[in-house]
Amino acid sequence: MAYHDDLIAHAIFLSQLDLPDDPKQVDLRRAVSAAYYGLFHLLTTEAAQNWRHQSQRNRFARMFDHGRMKTCSSKASSRPLPTDPVEVLIATDLKLVADSFVTLQQARHAADYDNSKVWSRTQVYETIVQAQDAMTAGMAIREKEIAQDYLFDLMGTR
Amino acid sequence: MPYLPRGVAQPTELIQHLNALAPFPPGVVNLRSTVEDDWSGDPAIFFWITLSDEAAHPPILSQTTRRITNFITQQLDPAGQWGLIPYFNFRSQSEQAKLKEEVFG
Repeated sequence: MAYHDDLIAHAIFLSQLDLPDDPKQVDLRRAVSAAYYGLFHLLTTEAAQNWRHQSQRNRFARMFDHGRMKTCSSKASSRPLPTDPVEVLIATDLKLVADSFVTLQQARHAADYDNSKVWSRTQVYETIVQAQDAMTAGMAIREKEIAQDYLFDLMGTR
Repeated sequence: MPYLPRGVAQPTELIQHLNALAPFPPGVVNLRSTVEDDWSGDPAIFFWITLSDEAAHPPILSQTTRRITNFITQQLDPAGQWGLIPYFNFRSQSEQAKLKEEVFG
């Protein structure tokens, strides 16, 4: 299984510990973080696939910056959808990926750094499903030009 | 001069539009919002939404949250009309009864 899929599986595992109603905050927080990193690693790995030299792809994937990825995703998310019926489906998938990236990154930051916030299992389930849906959408359009443009823009290039 | 988003510059108008969102879609027990910066300093609006236990049931949770998120995004357009990045937080009524987190009301 790919690393990003492992992260989602790990998030699900953590979110379901101590069922039915006594989850530990540490498990819920780590689940949120894992869900974000599932999408993060899918995107950086996909972008790195375009790097010609396979031996350098892991190094390439480490060049991505969370803040720049958020800026890029916010821009992609706010673009108006095209009117062409075929293009609108692809653009809607991309918008889902970009929206989810911004949302999941904020959730991950709160989970990792804001101890005043209390997490519930419903919040965490919703976060994991959002990551899964975004990953599915991203994979569905991975070869499309606007998806490739997005991956390139995630590096923060102009 | 730094850019001040409409949602920060015109809080009264924003509250009026937030109040006009009611009635909420099925499954919403309570909805609150706060305007504050997100982790990277961008202006944002956080929605704290309590769902009925039925609506928060895992098999339909995704459907519920998508319906509510779409409703708020279409009615309010937080990013386009107010310059605020929207963030949605959901929990069930029974979870909130136990956790009693103030921000969820």
